Amino acid sequence: MRGLRKRYGDTIALNGLDLDARPGAILGVAGPNGAGKSTMVKILAGEVDRDDGEILVDGTPWSTEYGSNRVAVVHQEPQLFPNLTVAENVLAGYEETKWHWPKLGGSHRELFAELGIDRVRNRQLGELGLALQQRTEITRALARDARVMLFDEPNSALTPDESAEFFRLIRQLADSGRIVLLISHRLTELAANSDQVAVILDGRCVRLLEGADRTAENIAETLVRGLGTTPAGEAAAAAGDAYRGELGFELVDVTDQRHAFRSLDLGVSRGTVTALIGVEGSGAREIVRACGGLRRVRGRLRVNGRDVRSASLPRHVSYVAADRASSLFSNLSVGENLVIRMDHEISRGVLGLRPRTMRKIAERLRTDFDVVSAGIDVGIRSLSGGNQQKVAIAAAVGRKPDVLVLEEPTRGVDISSKAEIYEILRAFVADGGTVVLFCTEVPEVYEVADRLHVVSDGRLSPALEVAGFADMEALAKGVASLETHGAALREAS
Amino acid sequence: MTEIGQNSAAVLAPSERGRRFGWARTTLARLGGVTLAVLVVGTYFAIRTNGQLLIGSNILTILRGLSTIAIMGFGLTVVIIAAEIDLSFAAVYGLSTNIVAVLWLTHGFPVYVAILVAFLAAIAVGLFNAFFTAVVKIPSFIATLGSSTLVFGLTLWVGQTQNLSYQYPPIGHTVSGSQASFFKNLGAANLPGNFPEQGIWTLSLLVIFAFVLARTLFGFRLKAIGGSRPAAEVVRLPVKRYIFIAFVVCACTACLAGLLDFSFVGTASPNDGQAYLFPVFAAVIIGGASLSGGKGSAFGTVMGALLLAVLANGFALIAAGPFASQLLLGTVTVGAVVIDRLTSRQRALT
Repeated sequence: MRGLRKRYGDTIALNGLDLDARPGAILGVAGPNGAGKSTMVKILAGEVDRDDGEILVDGTPWSTEYGSNRVAVVHQEPQLFPNLTVAENVLAGYEETKWHWPKLGGSHRELFAELGIDRVRNRQLGELGLALQQRTEITRALARDARVMLFDEPNSALTPDESAEFFRLIRQLADSGRIVLLISHRLTELAANSDQVAVILDGRCVRLLEGADRTAENIAETLVRGLGTTPAGEAAAAAGDAYRGELGFELVDVTDQRHAFRSLDLGVSRGTVTALIGVEGSGAREIVRACGGLRRVRGRLRVNGRDVRSASLPRHVSYVAADRASSLFSNLSVGENLVIRMDHEISRGVLGLRPRTMRKIAERLRTDFDVVSAGIDVGIRSLSGGNQQKVAIAAAVGRKPDVLVLEEPTRGVDISSKAEIYEILRAFVADGGTVVLFCTEVPEVYEVADRLHVVSDGRLSPALEVAGFADMEALAKGVASLETHGAALREAS
Repeated sequence: MTEIGQNSAAVLAPSERGRRFGWARTTLARLGGVTLAVLVVGTYFAIRTNGQLLIGSNILTILRGLSTIAIMGFGLTVVIIAAEIDLSFAAVYGLSTNIVAVLWLTHGFPVYVAILVAFLAAIAVGLFNAFFTAVVKIPSFIATLGSSTLVFGLTLWVGQTQNLSYQYPPIGHTVSGSQASFFKNLGAANLPGNFPEQGIWTLSLLVIFAFVLARTLFGFRLKAIGGSRPAAEVVRLPVKRYIFIAFVVCACTACLAGLLDFSFVGTASPNDGQAYLFPVFAAVIIGGASLSGGKGSAFGTVMGALLLAVLANGFALIAAGPFASQLLLGTVTVGAVVIDRLTSRQRALT
């Protein structure tokens, strides 16, 4: 790639990007959201046209047609068909039949087995969890035998074991002489699994790290230096201390009506961020959703020491979903999204909507939460992923709930927005709020949480104090041992 | 995700409870809400009419009764699977009968030419709908609401607000006997056992549409396009071409249904077809198609049409009055979809 340029209206997405990817090697790409990574992916895959610049593949000029046929993209949010089965999803678009309903070939079956989705190949995709959907999309790309493979945050929903398996797979792909680009916000993974790491800032490649320089610290340093910010310190950690000892949120003998967990007790101290960590299927996500009032449960829920009926739970608890598609309204503006959860603040009775108050509140929230946008009237989709997530959280916090429940609050968010989101959560608990998080990543827990429970098979581990661990590695080891412990218990019973 | 919290452990290891009655559940799920509703309603009327509902000649009446709705329903099913809406097919039905009646009976063109022109007109309407939907990117609800009114206006202009019959041609005009018998044989031929010819058309089209929707690449991609338009764009499925095909097919089935009815009934009038808009939609939706796209089958649509026909016939037999059939039709439309949702949830568990 040489001098790639692309502009959308006034926004310059790519400003002369130069990048070399070698066959047989994995090129990692790092950069904050809005740096132009997604645009680069879209151009390579032939989805949008470039304004300027040249792209060569194996010495010959790249064409849009080549992009659509030989370049495969594995997306961050799976771009699939929820109403088709897993197997059909892998085939859609590349059916290799002239007119007949497409059939699964033998080589596909091997791929299915390899990715562990053979058993669900005839299930409707929409019924499956995100992890299986993403594995389907990876299979899709592999099944096409593409020459250039772009992985855009491909493993953000996979468990550590699955991720390891996945990285072995893309290593094999690279070894077979393909060109592999891996785009990720997880810097450690980038450093560990790619041969070179390119850091992109403001539509330009600012640094190429190779060999011994290729460390997560170096990448992070380059990113942060470029952004002129520092990661959130631990200064805020003690701020919620005034409320410790009080319970902010409790589940007492709570049983899920769909059997994800039963007779569960959870006590979350006021003024703390408590994380539940667990792989897909462990029940961690389900427990957090029950806290947010999204699952039908039997049992008692208590907020700040008082029983709350599930009907009035939304008044005390704000829930933020993992994917932005379900936490934001894509047809509304930034401002409207910020105030969408309010009622009496923006309206007198049902009919007396107060547009001016709405604008005032929205403006205030936008400033308070540092949402980077061209005003509150622009569409929510014009914002970068990190800023969209800030809007989602700001809308939840703006209602002044007692408890904030979030699922993977920084999935697919760039490093600087991540730090800002952590600051928002710390500020919320410092004011006497309570935060319950569902996480899949240990670094996230380490950076933002005070306590954590490891969930396996619908059961909670005893609470771990994050401050009690010397460093992130120690915490990761603790979590891993609890997970294996849980698995061992399950096998014994 | 509609299924919140479906965990992968449950996916990989279906519970014992699900497995034990697996076959019964799957069978029930396959039959679906419509079939169940047809059985219930059929049994009710069979008892109420002392078995009159089930005698051979009445079953043939029901078969003819469902034909028009089913034939148009096939076309609409294709459009709905692609996650679009067509409100103009009822108007196309009327346009086709009036074009044939006026060209053939008033202007003396051969009936073959008249039929050809009717189909060309239908294709033109289909292209119009598809153009505004797929190229100009107007929501198909609006595009076809507009074209429906346009086509109806055209029909009134063509038909000159008169009723025309090919058995009793307008004064001063004659109809060639061979052409009249050709046209009669299209939809009302004398078949052994008084079998309605429209029933044969319906069953043949059922086979064709069922095959195309469930066994061909076209059916596969149509379902994918209806399921997720963004994903279809990403993998470059021929979205535009498929939308064009869907609207043209829908218009053509409406044209065919109109001509078959004209052949059977003998007269064409400018208001033809208007009354079919709601029942055809009801049949397709009762038959399991989803208005949000990506779901629907030819067999389901026929079952939907069958349900409506059994209802209409049963109420006629017991002379219950028009209010009763409307009340029950409403109940059944909602009820069948509810049952279908429940059984498809069952399907998700097995």
